[in-house]
Formats: sequence, C-alpha cells, structure tokens
Amino acid sequence: MHNFDFVKPGTVADAAAALQGDEAQPLGGGQTLIPTMKQRLAAPETLVSLIGIAEMQGVCKTDAGELSIGGATTHATVEAEAASLFPGLAGLAGRIGDPAVRNRGTIGGSLANNDPAACYPAAALATGATIRTDKREIAADDYFQGMFTTALDEGEIIVEVRMPIPEKSNYQKFLQPASRFALTGVFVAKYADGVRVAVTGASEEGVFRWTEAEQALGSNFAADAISGLSVSADGMINDLHGTPEYRAHLVKVLTGRAVMAAA
Amino acid sequence: MEKFGKSQAVRRVEDVRFLTGEGRYVDDIAPDGALHAYVFRSPVAHAVITGLNTDDAKAADGVHLVLTAADLQDAGLTMDIKASLIRNRDGSKGAGPKRPLLATDRVRFVGEPVAVVVADTVEQAKDAAELIEFDFDELDAHVTVAPGGPDLHPEALENVAFDYGKGDLNAVEEAFANAAHVVEAQIDDNRVIVSSMEPRGCWAEWTNGRLHLCVNGQGVWDQKDGLVNVFGLQPDDIRVTNPDVGGGFGMKAMTYPEYYIIPQAARMLGRPVRWMSERTEAMLSDNAGRDLTSTVALAFDADHKITAYRVDTLCNLGAYNSELGQFIQTDLFAKVLMGTYDVQTTWLGVKGIFTNTTQVDAYRGAGRPEAIYALERAIDYAARQLGVDPWELRRKNFIRPDQFPYKTATGELYDVGDFARVLTRVEAEADKAGFPARKAQSKAQGKLRGLGLCYYIESILGSPTEDAKVTFNDDGTASIYVGTQSNGQGHETVFAQFLSDQTGIPADKISVIQGDSDLIATGGGTGGSRSVTVQSMATLATVDKMITGFTDFLAEDQDVDPNAISFDDERFRIDGSNLTPTMLEVADMARAAGHADLLSFAAQTTLPGRSYPNGAHVAEIEIDPDTGVVEVVKYTVTDDFGNLINPMLAEGQVHGGVAQGIGQAITEHVVYDPDGQLLTASFMDYGLPRANDMPMVTFYSEPVPSTQNPMGMKGCGEAGTVGALAAVANAVLDAVWDEGIYKVDMPFTPNRVWTILQEAKGAAA
Repeated sequence: MHNFDFVKPGTVADAAAALQGDEAQPLGGGQTLIPTMKQRLAAPETLVSLIGIAEMQGVCKTDAGELSIGGATTHATVEAEAASLFPGLAGLAGRIGDPAVRNRGTIGGSLANNDPAACYPAAALATGATIRTDKREIAADDYFQGMFTTALDEGEIIVEVRMPIPEKSNYQKFLQPASRFALTGVFVAKYADGVRVAVTGASEEGVFRWTEAEQALGSNFAADAISGLSVSADGMINDLHGTPEYRAHLVKVLTGRAVMAAA
Repeated sequence: MEKFGKSQAVRRVEDVRFLTGEGRYVDDIAPDGALHAYVFRSPVAHAVITGLNTDDAKAADGVHLVLTAADLQDAGLTMDIKASLIRNRDGSKGAGPKRPLLATDRVRFVGEPVAVVVADTVEQAKDAAELIEFDFDELDAHVTVAPGGPDLHPEALENVAFDYGKGDLNAVEEAFANAAHVVEAQIDDNRVIVSSMEPRGCWAEWTNGRLHLCVNGQGVWDQKDGLVNVFGLQPDDIRVTNPDVGGGFGMKAMTYPEYYIIPQAARMLGRPVRWMSERTEAMLSDNAGRDLTSTVALAFDADHKITAYRVDTLCNLGAYNSELGQFIQTDLFAKVLMGTYDVQTTWLGVKGIFTNTTQVDAYRGAGRPEAIYALERAIDYAARQLGVDPWELRRKNFIRPDQFPYKTATGELYDVGDFARVLTRVEAEADKAGFPARKAQSKAQGKLRGLGLCYYIESILGSPTEDAKVTFNDDGTASIYVGTQSNGQGHETVFAQFLSDQTGIPADKISVIQGDSDLIATGGGTGGSRSVTVQSMATLATVDKMITGFTDFLAEDQDVDPNAISFDDERFRIDGSNLTPTMLEVADMARAAGHADLLSFAAQTTLPGRSYPNGAHVAEIEIDPDTGVVEVVKYTVTDDFGNLINPMLAEGQVHGGVAQGIGQAITEHVVYDPDGQLLTASFMDYGLPRANDMPMVTFYSEPVPSTQNPMGMKGCGEAGTVGALAAVANAVLDAVWDEGIYKVDMPFTPNRVWTILQEAKGAAA
C-alpha cells in the first residue's frame, strides 16, 4: 500500500470540500478500496472517510412510506434495522460477505462502486430507489450505467438511498464458489402497481431489469408465470465460474425461487 | 504395557497455544532489527530477459540491498536447486535443467523470482520493487500437459522431461489380446494449489560466520544439506530450525529459492533478513499438486477377474524440476498401482512434461491418491460397462487374507490386510441397503442422488529410519528430542503421551523438542504418513535403553541382582524391597550420584518394512439439476489403520484429508490462461472448501495390525485424501448415470456439472 492522507469530516459539506483535492477519494467501509490499495492497484493521495457523518447513518421509514438508508450505513445495520420494515432488503444485507465485511461495508460504497457482482444494486434497481447525493437526486433507472459505472460525478457523495417498500420481496443469490459474491443474483419486488425484477452478477452491462418477467409476474405473481420465458445468453458475463448460458439459466431459476420465497 | 500404548483419545495440548495466538510461527520470531525482503517475480510466463536495471530501486528510501542473478554470480553462488531425476525406460536419466535461484537469461513461469529487495520495511521494499526496470521479449507459453509446444529447456525435447515405464509391457499386451472384456477410460486429475494456512516464510542470521536459517518446513536436515551444497559451508557452520508450522502437506517438504537468497542477503548485509510470502505470492510460487491425465485400461476374463491393468500418464512438472517432482507420478504412483486387487500383470508408463507453470510436486499422498483415483474410477467404469455391482467387482478381485504377505506386481510387500472384512463393515455402517430409499427421497425433491465407493490402499513412505533422545532435566522434567516435524498434526501430544504410556512419566512433565539441527543430529521430518510409526518405534528403543540403564544403576545402588529388578511401566520394583521409584525418581537418584550418563538416552531404529493402511470411503452426493450444485450429504469411512495410538487424532487426520479431497473434487479449480497467467491467483477465484461444504464424516476402525512395526500401527496422515477423490467422483457418476452421462471428471463445479447435464439433455432431445 502506498502512503496516503486520511481525513474524517463530520459533515457532508466538509467531505465534499475535501474531495475537491487532487487524487482524493471517498472511503465508505473500504471493503473494495482497501484491498485494491493493498494490492497497489489504487493509490489515492487522500482518503475522505464518510463514516463520521451523522446524517449519513441509519435506517428509518419516511412519511412517504419509503425506507431511508443513510449512505454510510453498514450492511449489518441495515440487516438489523430493516428487518421488520423491509425484510427482503434485510435478508440481502445479512448475506453480503461475512460478519467482518458487513460490519464495515456500506450501502453507499456498494452503490458507488457498482461492482457487477454486488448485491445492493439489485435491490436499488428492483425497488426503483432514489439515490440522493450532495448535489441531486438520481432515479435508480438512470443511476446504473454499466460495470463499475454510475451517474455519479467525480467527488459526488451518496448521502441517502430511499427505497419504496414493496408488498413482497425476496433476493436470491447464487454464490460464486470462491469469492461468495453473486455469480448471479435476482431481487424481486412486488408493488401494488406492478413487479420489478433486477438481476446482478450476470450481465456485462452490470445490473439490469428483466422486463419480460416483470410483465408476466405483474399479472400473475407465481413462479409458474415465468416458466415459458427464457433469458438470452447474449451479453452475459463469461468467466471461469460461469458461462453466459449458465448465467442466463440462473437468472430464470433464481427469479422463480425469489417469487416462491416472496409469495 | 502394550507396545502401542494405551490408545487414548488424548486431546491436543498444543491447540491451546495455537488457538490463543501463542503459536510461534516463523514470522513471529524473526530477530529484532531484521530487515524485510520482498521478492520481485516474473509477471510473464515465458520470456527472454533483455534488461534488468535495479539502480533506482537501490536508491529508494530504506533500501539496503537489491539482489539479482548477476549479484549471486559475483558472490560465487552459482549452484542451482537440486532435484532428483528418475530413470527413463531406456535406462538414461530424466532431464535435469538448471533451476536457478534467481532468473538468469529467461523466465519460465509467472512468479519466478527475478530479484530480491531488502529494506527497513516491507512497504519500502515493495515501493522499491516498483522501480525495477525489467525488460523482456515474450515467448509463446506452453501450458498444456502434452508433448510439444515452445521448448522450455534444451535438455527436454518437445518439453518431455522423462519417459518412465514400469512393468512387463509385452505381458500386459498379451493379456489384453486374450481378454474377454477390456474397459478403457481417460481420467483427469486436476491441479490444485496447496494453500497451507500459513504461507511459506523464512529468516536468516549469521553469527561469527555461522548461518542460522529459520524456515517453516517439514524437517531441517534436507534443508541443511541444501545450504551446504549451495554455500559450500561445513555442516557444522549451519543451523536450520523449524518453529511452529501452519500446514505443509508435502508442499513445504521441498526447498525453494528464497531459502538461499535470504541467507545470502543476510550475509552480504551483516544483519538478519526476513521474508514472508503473501497469499497470491504463495499461489504463484508454492509447488502445486496433482495435474495429470491418465489413459487406463483393465482386462478381464470371462468371470470378471482382472487379468491386466495398464496406465499411460502425462503429468505436469511445471517449469523446472522440483526436488521430487519426477518421482511423484512414477515411483510413488507405482507403490499402489494395483491397489487392493490380486493382479500381477501391470504397466505404468509416464511422460513428465515441462510447462510454463509453477512447479508441481508432492501434495498430501504424493502419487498414491493419484494412483488410487485412476484405479478406483476405472473399476467403477468397468463395473458399469460389465453390468455388475461395483462393490462385488471389487470383492471378487481383492487380494485374499490367506495371500499375505503379498508381493505386488510393482514390488511392494503388503504385510497384512482383510479388505473384504472392511468392505462388509462399511456396507453396513453406510447403510448401503437404504440408499435406494434415500435416492427416491432426493428425487422427490428434484435432486439427483449418487453413492460412490473408493477402496484405497496407501503405502507409508519417507525414511524408515528415525531417532529419539530422552533427557532428564534438572527441574524434574523430561524432554524427548524427535527427528520428525509437526506441521500442526498434534505430534507434541502424541509423542509425549506415548512416552508417558511407556515410562509412567506424566505427560505434562514431558516436553517435545523438534526442528533444530543443532539439538538433533539427524531425522526424517514429516511426510509420507511416517511420523508416529517411525518416532514411536525409536522411542520404544530409547525406553528399552533407559530401563536397562536405570536397572543397572538401581542394582548397583541397592546392591541387588539386576534380575531382581523389574519395571512395570510406572515404577521399578525390586524383589524384597519397599523401594519402588518412578523413572523421574531414578533419574534424580542418578543425578545425585553424579551419573550424568544416565540422564540422557538415545536410539535410532529402522522399520523392517512399510505398513499399508487401507480402507473404504463411501460418499453420497446430491446434485441440484437446476444449478449444478453438488453437495456431499453423507460420508462414511471405515479404515484399517492397525492399532490406533490416539484414536481421536487419527480420526481428525481423516477429517482433514477428506476435506482436502472434497476440495479437489468439487471446489478447487486451478485455471491458467493460454499465456500462462494464473487466473485463480487469490481466494476470490480459487475455491477452498468451507465448513459448510463438509458433511459429517463418520469414521470406523477395523484394524488388522501391521506386522512391520512393534506397535502394529499403520500411518494415517494421507489416507483421507487418498480415499475421498474417487468416492466423490464415483458418487457423481452414479447420480448422473441415469441421465445418460457416462463419464465425469473433477472438479465438479456448479457450472461444469450443469453443463454436462445440459449436454445430456441436448443429446437425448
């Protein structure tokens, strides 16, 4: 690891200011960035820790009935505090990594990094979440722009994530056998006005919505409803753990299992 | 006292130290002020070196030294790392290309050491390493385990290092020509990365011209010999120590370039120097295991008796010969070539292939798991093709109890065995009769269930000779000096308990001393499942000397005839006397009487023959056809380990061995790309088995005591791995057979299993 400076501001404004510096980088829980720095693949001059900002911590239900999660809230906190409000999300948070990862990693860090195998992007997209930054609000449908790519500008900070709470939801993750990241993961969220299905881990374009399944499930929220559908292997990730065909197949299997678990 | 001790399930005393952070591993005990070394390694698999400039690295902050091959040459260190060479079929020796300490003109695998930077801190050394200018012209890489491709070494035409053959090929061919049935199969044995919990590391310090190398190895004496060879020092000028070691598995038995470069750096700097491998570095530089493909054939008569067996193997050696690399799939494979079956007409042909990958050498079992895997897969394929029960086909061909001692076709003398008895026991314990019901139950839940058997036999290896010394210390304790080396197996407990059983000295008053070439003159280290057998035999001989010495002393001291004195494993008894001293009490008496010669006893023994542990592993697996996930749901082992010195530790060895076998069978999948880059170079991509991948392993002992050591025991360290591979693979084959899949190969990763199920569906459609 190369040497770096470390600052831990107490307000979003101070953090934003600190991020204006040369080669400054925001640090959430550091579960991706720190290992990358240890491997000397990243060498920021300044790390701006976001976990000391009080307004970016915690989980609550808004007056509009959404779940509000501070950008620097850890997975373990989401697991505990969303358990009764939004069990599908709590279930997702409770299966990210291991306890050490869950006690450090944050939702904002996960969404900002947008790893194609991360879990949270599936929940954010499936719920049609709103990503509030220090500058603006971004709809999830506009936020995810491909592997490791988001609508965030340089130095922009995710302050809060608001997710409409579904009537029913479930996340199914098929574990990559070594890393235990999502080889493919599917989040299904049922609302009064429709169903949203978001898939992570599978596509070269990152998280995406399986709209055919959404339509089929919208009229019949049952695993059978998607039995006639198929997912194309085109554009799916090909690596030593899964072929495109395998991932495409898993999308359908996991969607069916998520619907069964949610229903 | 029985010579095999009291066979108690004594808990491991060293675990308290290991589990509370009190273990003293090599990186915990480096001398104060030791400088840190970082090894700069080749980033490419095959290239001609055109430039290596370390000027900027040498000038970097905190850097004391940068060593390259040219610097070693200037210092007179021109010896390479030695390796044993196997005999080819034509009697010549296998290729022995030079394996340099640091790359000279070419690099041949990703991770090959090119330079070493020594600095005040490891971070400074890494910073400086980034300033090394390493120029090269890349060459095509050879990564397939087959002859041909770009040559790595001029000594090995077509990259074939050796062409080994054992057996009577003409007789085998004749038997096949006359066979009623012939079954052939190609069997892949996938490469694994050893992944010891503690990676390799060492430190070196010179004091008054004398070298001390501390390294986490599997014995100190071979490494000492290596240093004598490379540095040209007298043996007395070298001390090698092994502290606590966190797993070796054969990988740490071999020597590596770092164990010479670090001492050289310490010599040049006049300060101690330390090096500790990181995980990816370990994956790139530790010897790997397995990595072979065999074409096997069994010939049968009309009654399904095997009449001949033939194996033709291609095995990967990696880029250079590691110390025993050429012997693993040849001589060691041959030890159990024909397993437990009564067949005298066999052939083993092996070509060793150099590739642009890390060296391949011994890994838990070293050739014997590979031999048993090939054979036990072949037997299962044969049973299915012949339409007979795989268990009965084995039973029919077993060496019968009345045939022992049995000389195998490859020259091993099996002393004892009762394979049918063990098989009958495991059939009951595994509830084979209940399997169809369990299979139906799985099917009702949409799962495919399979049952697989492996009947293995193991040949205990390593040196049959071992030393023991027992000293009585001034503080009233005793020490036993052993020539074996614990890598975490529990030796401290077993050796102290065994000595305690034989002498009555309380185990908590016995300390086990190992791994120091200054304190122990010779020894065989750990490997080949040898330790408890060889060490216990040497201990028994030492105890005999102790009893004789103390008896003579007491006779003189008490003025009685030595024949009037006996030792009952706790106390000396003297006819007509109330004096009943313990060993420790006699030692005190001897010390008080000025008899220093009675405070230390030593003996060396050599086993008259090897022991042959054997047994049956029965795996039951379930496949989820929707995802291809293979889960081992039931696992039953019945072993003939002879007498068990410590039944709990023996069973623990089986558990660990099975875990490593299941790892290789299901999760561990080494992948190199065509350029020789290791794609599975971290635990993000290399899947070690986890606790939840493991079934509950049930273990039963069905002993037939060995006649080749006084304890009647058989080694147990490697057996679990030997049995697990084919048991799991045969279970997977059993599960998918009805789906129209007639061949399966490890590793059974979800994607691979799902893919073969899809292919079968496609073929059926």
